[in-house]
Amino acid sequence: MNETVRDAVSQGRIGSRFWLYANYHCNLACSYCLTESSPTVVRRELAPGRMVELATEARDLGFASLGVTGGEPFLVEEMPELLLELSSILPTVVLSNGTRFGLDRLERMRPLSGRDLRVQISLDRSEAVANDEMRGPENFRKVVEAIPRLVDLGIGVRIASTLDMVDEDDMARLCALHRSLGVPDDDHIVRGIVRRGRALTEGLGSDAGLDDLAPELTITADGAFWSPFAPTVTGGRLDTDLMIGRDTRSVATAAGAMIALVTGTDYEGPVDDRFT
Amino acid sequence: MEQPSPRVALLDERRAPLPTRKYFADGDPGPIAASLAYVPELLEVALPFISRALRGVTIDTRTAELVIVRASAMLSCTYCTLTHGAIALDSRVTPQEVVALCDPAGLDAFPDAREAALLTWVDVFATGRGEVPVEIADELAAHFDEATVVEIAMMAGCTIMLNRYCTSLRLPTSPLSLARLTDAGLTPEDLGT
Repeated sequence: MNETVRDAVSQGRIGSRFWLYANYHCNLACSYCLTESSPTVVRRELAPGRMVELATEARDLGFASLGVTGGEPFLVEEMPELLLELSSILPTVVLSNGTRFGLDRLERMRPLSGRDLRVQISLDRSEAVANDEMRGPENFRKVVEAIPRLVDLGIGVRIASTLDMVDEDDMARLCALHRSLGVPDDDHIVRGIVRRGRALTEGLGSDAGLDDLAPELTITADGAFWSPFAPTVTGGRLDTDLMIGRDTRSVATAAGAMIALVTGTDYEGPVDDRFT
Repeated sequence: MEQPSPRVALLDERRAPLPTRKYFADGDPGPIAASLAYVPELLEVALPFISRALRGVTIDTRTAELVIVRASAMLSCTYCTLTHGAIALDSRVTPQEVVALCDPAGLDAFPDAREAALLTWVDVFATGRGEVPVEIADELAAHFDEATVVEIAMMAGCTIMLNRYCTSLRLPTSPLSLARLTDAGLTPEDLGT
């Protein structure tokens, strides 16, 4: 099994990034959130120690990098120290809304300086009113304060803008903004809204099914999924249509199930790079 | 027949996890598969096992349905009793025999010594604790060879497993099964449900 997984990863039949859903809860309730995250949802988390075990097994199986997402991962109290450990196992990107970087947490982030870690922070629009309409009050202010502080600490920062439609003028202003915050163009990602979770309820974004999403093994408290865009929640209920299985005790087993699906469906790679 | 809501929302083709989609390709796979699909790893092994264990290997379909309906009725599983009551009608079991199978005192309707031994054994197997009494086990062995006894035990065991599963999850009986019973002049109440 291990050789099968290594071959599948090295040959690109399944993605080389291994994803972990740290949690599902969030201090925000964004209008397009895939997981209907909010401060009030039931807390479903992967224990930090378990995340380290999974990451270690993923590395041993040939996965090349880690993604940590949620929910808002930095609501997990141990997240700075956990990222120190995870980034020593594999290059890591952690997705964040960027609102949880007060001075105390920034101090705890200091040891991450120079590590193979990127903090990918969501920033959708170039000015506060439009940005906060989708993401919540004070989001813009907190993000533009946090990014330069992280950059000053020597921590890699990427900015992800999730947009239903691109307004060229606003995009120009947004790019000027991220450059001014110390984030170069190569570290600015623009992606479409995936019509799942709260985006589906709100009528936002584009449909994304099996053929649209790259196969990137994703582990959550609920099971193993096809992609980080897969373990969504709609109407308070977990979407199971892109679930691979419930058994996450072994990365090799979950990866094997994904490889079987890729093989069985003659999957030839992602056809829609909006969601990669 | 009014049926309570199942304890879990049955999955459909749109919500079926990726490895289970093939079971939904030809339409509604039934409530056992539609509930087991929540755990693909279980569905993948359970469905072939259940199918094989209940269909039997060498046991004829009438004998199989006698075992399944009787065990289900003794354990008051509405889903299994009605579903297999309907299947039994297409397996050379008469409507009167289906009703008798669902009546704890109905074994007089089976005068054949082989079937009487089988049903007596099923009653004890389904509702008793510990080993089946020696005289009842010996009577079964007098009519069935060792391989068939193994099949019967697995068939009855699988039925009991499903009885408890279907009852605890309140799985609904399909309209097709109810219609088949109606066609034979039977009501769910006739089957003790």
